[in-house]
Amino acid sequence: MRILFLFFLILSPLSESKLKIEITQGSETLPKIAIVPFQNEILSGRETISSLVEANMTLFGEFNSIKKTEMLSYPNSEENFFYRDWRLLEVDYVVIGRVDNTDLTNLDINYLVFDIGLKKIILKGDISGNLNELEQISKIISNRAYQSITGLDGVFNTKLAYILNPNKNSYKIYISDIDGSNEQLLFKSLSPLMSPSWSADRKKLAYVSFERGYPEIYIQDLLTGNRSSIDTLGMSNSAPVWSPDSKYIAFVMSMSGNPDIYLYNLRNKKISRLTRHYGIDTEPAWSPNSKKLLFTSNRSGSPQIYELIVSTGRIKRVTLDGDYNARARYFPNGKDIVLVHGNDGVFHIATKNLKSRFINSISKTSLDESPTISPNGNIIIYATKKKTQGFLAGLTLNGKSKFTLPVQEGSVREPAWSPLAN
Amino acid sequence: MKNQYAALIFATFFVISCTTTVSDKVTSSDYASAESDVYVSAEKLDINLSDKIYFNFDKASLTDSSKELISEYIDFAKNAKAIRLEGHCDERGTREYNLALGEKRAIEVKNYLIIKGVSSSKIKVISYGEEKPIELGSDESSWKENRRVEISLF
Repeated sequence: MRILFLFFLILSPLSESKLKIEITQGSETLPKIAIVPFQNEILSGRETISSLVEANMTLFGEFNSIKKTEMLSYPNSEENFFYRDWRLLEVDYVVIGRVDNTDLTNLDINYLVFDIGLKKIILKGDISGNLNELEQISKIISNRAYQSITGLDGVFNTKLAYILNPNKNSYKIYISDIDGSNEQLLFKSLSPLMSPSWSADRKKLAYVSFERGYPEIYIQDLLTGNRSSIDTLGMSNSAPVWSPDSKYIAFVMSMSGNPDIYLYNLRNKKISRLTRHYGIDTEPAWSPNSKKLLFTSNRSGSPQIYELIVSTGRIKRVTLDGDYNARARYFPNGKDIVLVHGNDGVFHIATKNLKSRFINSISKTSLDESPTISPNGNIIIYATKKKTQGFLAGLTLNGKSKFTLPVQEGSVREPAWSPLAN
Repeated sequence: MKNQYAALIFATFFVISCTTTVSDKVTSSDYASAESDVYVSAEKLDINLSDKIYFNFDKASLTDSSKELISEYIDFAKNAKAIRLEGHCDERGTREYNLALGEKRAIEVKNYLIIKGVSSSKIKVISYGEEKPIELGSDESSWKENRRVEISLF
């Protein structure tokens, strides 16, 4: 076995992997939002800022929007904004704005967010950029508006990494914007790829590649394309997860066929062992404070979730019910987890509070796996399957909306939601 | 996104009657991509035996009929230069757990070969988990084909 060649290239986006979010279940009871056309926003045939912001705010089914044609007025400043125009339409929040400088290389956009119920302005924002940056500008405005309304971080400029398997002997890792657009190929191989994991600074991605004939973790620098593997003396290694404090990668290594959890110290490149059991220990996941790990073990006879305190090595069983509980991830609050819950051969995405025994299934299809949580803890994207095609689906945690991210051809799996940009 | 962060700090300090004020600038970046290549394997010995050992769901233990099949391999295995055992799973359950389970299955076969006198040093164990199914359907007839260890002698 040997590597024949390895090369790097910049590729233009390929249409084969294009994901697009489609809401499959909405709700009448969502907050209603109005994005008023911004003054002077018609810029040489581009999509308008207000329609981009509207698309963002309604992307995951967290808000319902009202059509521009239903609006009674198009205010562009505090002076010509009348709360009654919006109360009549039962609108909860209104975003208005204007583009002040129509020099196309230097747009200056001011915007306001109104809370109609409270009858006050909850956000005054301005942003500058050029005509080619309208998408980014709109994402930042959307993040700001979302945060002022919900108190949660907006996730519109987060990314999604995923594995695409276009046909039997082709495996690719893509990164796209969270709405599925601007997808870029990171790596392709004739052998399987698995387990993408983001570094906290979003500059690197760790994943598993079989390119040398066995599973090995690679760390790829996203800007340069440079890749390196963790030196494990030829032993199979897998399931990498980057600690939120960027000090370690927790991963699985098999010493003589016995998979256990290990830590890779990113600074001194040393490896230390965390679990020691003849059963399967795998699927580590970091707590938000980087002090604990969830992992899956079949030490009780079936796969169950355990929690390990990294400093002391103390291990506690987390799931008690069901014959298959695996691949858990912490929510940003560190108190709730999402996992794959199997019973009688049916596998759902489920949530669980660490202190309660109850496991709450939240997905309905039968082969659901690989849940990834939005950095604000409000949305989950997971992998599922229809006939022979794998695809991604998602839902909001309040249970009101569901969506899918269909792909043209091939199977998509293992979505990994990026951290927030900082 | 430093500016955005700075703006956030700014916003935190200057809250005026619940209205937040923010100021942003846009930054964006492109990613580079890479491509791997092929690994070449040695020439496989052709033996007139089924090269697949099958397993029950979420189990790595060998059935009696599997043990019989492996026993038929012993003489060939003793004479082979290298033996590759490739563990696989069906699609049910999680991918990383299945990667570990596939390895446990291959190790079970390896241990049985060792008990029967095959030298452990020439046995290479690899798991592909659920990444390389033979059948793509989501029913027991496909799943049982996929829960397997493939034996190759070189």
